[in-house]
Amino acid sequence: MTVADVLLLGLGAVAVGAGLCVVTTAHLVRAGLYLVVCLGALAGMFLVLTAELVAWVQVLIYVGAVVVLLLFAVMLTRAPIGASGDLDRPGWPGLLVGAGAGLGLAALFVDAYRWTSVSLPDGPDGPGSAGVLGGELFRSWVLPFEVLSVLLLAALVGAIIVSRPDVGASDRGAER
Amino acid sequence: MTTDFQLPAIDYQAISPLLILFGVACLGVLVEAFVPRPARRRVQLGMALVGVLAALGAVVLLAGTNVVTAGGSVTVDGPALFMQGALLAFGVVALLLIGERRVEPGGAFVAQPAITVGSEADQRQASAPGATEVFPLAMFSLGGMALFIAASDLLTMFIALELLSLPLYLMCALARRHRLISQEAAVKYFLLGAYASGFFLFGVVLAYGYAGSVDLAAIHAAVDTSQMNPALLYAALALIVMGLLFKTAAAPFHVWAPDVYQGAPTPITAFMAACTKVAAFGALLRVTYVAFERLAWDWLPVIGVIAVLTMLVGAVLAVTQTDLKRLLAYSSIANAGFVLVGVLAVGRTGASSAMFYLVAYGFAVLGAFAVISLVRDREGETTHLSRWAGLGRRSPLVAGVFTVVMLALAGIPLTGGFTAKFAVFSAALEVGEGWLVIAGVVSSVIIAFPYLRVVVMMWLSEPSESTATMVAPGLLTGTALGIGALAVVGLGVVPGPVLDLAHDAALFLR
Repeated sequence: MTVADVLLLGLGAVAVGAGLCVVTTAHLVRAGLYLVVCLGALAGMFLVLTAELVAWVQVLIYVGAVVVLLLFAVMLTRAPIGASGDLDRPGWPGLLVGAGAGLGLAALFVDAYRWTSVSLPDGPDGPGSAGVLGGELFRSWVLPFEVLSVLLLAALVGAIIVSRPDVGASDRGAER
Repeated sequence: MTTDFQLPAIDYQAISPLLILFGVACLGVLVEAFVPRPARRRVQLGMALVGVLAALGAVVLLAGTNVVTAGGSVTVDGPALFMQGALLAFGVVALLLIGERRVEPGGAFVAQPAITVGSEADQRQASAPGATEVFPLAMFSLGGMALFIAASDLLTMFIALELLSLPLYLMCALARRHRLISQEAAVKYFLLGAYASGFFLFGVVLAYGYAGSVDLAAIHAAVDTSQMNPALLYAALALIVMGLLFKTAAAPFHVWAPDVYQGAPTPITAFMAACTKVAAFGALLRVTYVAFERLAWDWLPVIGVIAVLTMLVGAVLAVTQTDLKRLLAYSSIANAGFVLVGVLAVGRTGASSAMFYLVAYGFAVLGAFAVISLVRDREGETTHLSRWAGLGRRSPLVAGVFTVVMLALAGIPLTGGFTAKFAVFSAALEVGEGWLVIAGVVSSVIIAFPYLRVVVMMWLSEPSESTATMVAPGLLTGTALGIGALAVVGLGVVPGPVLDLAHDAALFLR
C-alpha cells in the first residue's frame, strides 16, 4: 500500500460518510455543509490522482458556487432554523434502492478491475495536469470554447432581463 | 509539443437537415426579440413550417447517402434518414396544431411557464393573447431529436438527448388552461427525465471504461477484443438502455407518461407522443444494432421481458382509464411495447417493421390529439370520457375522423395500425420469437376494448346536457386532421411504398 492508496481510501471514506450525513440529517443547512465536506473530499481524491485542474474546478464550481447557491436558496425561501421534521420520508424504499445501487456498482467495479493497478503519472505532463488540459482547450477546442463563453454571456444578460420586469417597463413608465 | 490545428472534415450537405432546423430555431429566438408582437405569430409559424419542410426536402435529397461525418459524431445512413423524414413529417403536423389560434382564443400557450399558479401575474398571462415562445422551443427540440437519431457516438447522443428534453420539459408547463397540472407535468417530467439522463450518462462512462471510446462502432469492435471484464459492458448496456427506454415510456420506466400527457398542452402532447417516440426508438435501434449487436443473445431476453411487460401494463391500465388523454398515454405505453417487439427481431426486417410501426402510430396519434383539442366547454378541453357521449350525432365529420384513428390504433384491417402490427409480429415470428407475438396479440385484443368503447360511446349514446361541444376546426387543425386521417387510411390500403422504403432504408452504417 502506497501513500496514494491510503489517501484515496481515507478520502473515499470521508466522502461516503459525509454523503450519508447529507441525506440523513434533518437540518437543511447542515446538509449543505456536509455537502461541502463530501465534495471537498472528492476534490482531494482528484488531487491524489494528479488531476489537479479537475480538482480545483471541483472546488471552485461545486464547493464554492453550487453550495453557496444552495445556502442562498435556503436563506431566501423560508430559512428553517433547527430540524425540519417533514424533510424525511419513511426511509425503507430509499435505503433499499440506494444501498442496492451502491453495492451493486461497487461489486461491479471490484469484479471488473480486480487487481488491475494503474501507475499514477507524475510530473507536469500527466494527462490531468493544467498544462496539458489548457493546451488542448486553447489549441484544438478554442472555437467551441469561445462560442460557449459568448452563449453563456447571452444567457446571463437574458436572465437579468427576464428576472427584472422593470428593465423594459421603465421607458414606458417615463413616457406616461 | 505544438500540434497543428486540424479542422474536422464535415460533409455539410449530409448534415444540412440538422443545420436548417437549428438555424431556424436560432432565428426564432431573434424573432422573439425584434419582431413586434402582433406580427410574431405569423412570422414564427411561417418560418418554422418553411424550415421543417426545407429540412424534409433536404432529407429526401439525401436519400441513399451513407456517410459518417462531423469528426465521426454524426452518421447519416438509411435508418437515420428514414426516421428523420418521419420525424419532420410529424413535426409539420404538430406545428400546425401548435400554431392553431381559432380553437382556443389566443392559442393554447402562455409565455412564462414558471409563474406561481393563481398569482396575479399568472392570471394576467392566461388572459393575454397567445405567446410565441413555443415555436423556437419546438424547433430546438425537433433539431435535438433529428440529431439523436443520427448520433454515432454516445456523447453526441447525450447532448442530443438533453437538447430534445429540456425544451420539452418547458413546453409541458405552457398550457393556458389548467395551469396547475401543466406545471406539475413539467416538474414530474423534468425530475424523472434528469434521473434517466443520469442513468444514461453513467452507462456512457462504463462503456468508455470498457471500450476506451464512446464511439458506437469502436464499442462494437471492442466487444471482441477488449481485455476488460465484460461485466462492465453489461452494466453499461443496461444503464444506457434504461435511459433510452425512459424516453420511449416502456414499462418499468413509464410512470411519468400518464401525468405528463394529461397535463401538457394538447398540441405538445401530440408532439411528444409522435416525435419523441420516433427519436427515442431511433437511438435505441442504433445503440442496440450498431454498438451491442454481438451481445444480442444477452439483451434479447431482458428487453423481451420489458416488451411484454410494457404491452400488458399499457393495455390493462388503458382499460381502466376514464380520461381520454390518460387513455392515449397508456396506449402510447402499449404501443412502445409493440415497437420493441420489432426492435427485438434483430435484423433488417425487424428494424424496418419497427420504423414502419413508428410512422403508422405517429400519424394516428397526431390525429387523435388533434380531435381532442377540438372537444371543449367553457373551461377548456374536456377530456373526460363521459363528456364525449353522443358526440358523433352532433359533429359526425370530426367524430368520424376520430373513429378512423381509434380503429387504426386498435389495429383493425384497412388502417395503418393493422399493417404495422402485422409487420412487427411477422418480423418477430420470422426470427422465432413466438412468445413476444403471443403477448403482443393478447395485449392488442385487450387494448382494442378501450378504443372501441370510445367509438361506441360517441356514436351509440344519445347526446345529453353534459355532452361537450365540438369546436369547428380552423384551417391549421383541419389540415393536420386531414393529413393524419389520410395517412392512417393510406398506410392501411396501400402500405407497399412505405414498407419498401423502410425495408430499403433499414441497414445501419457502422
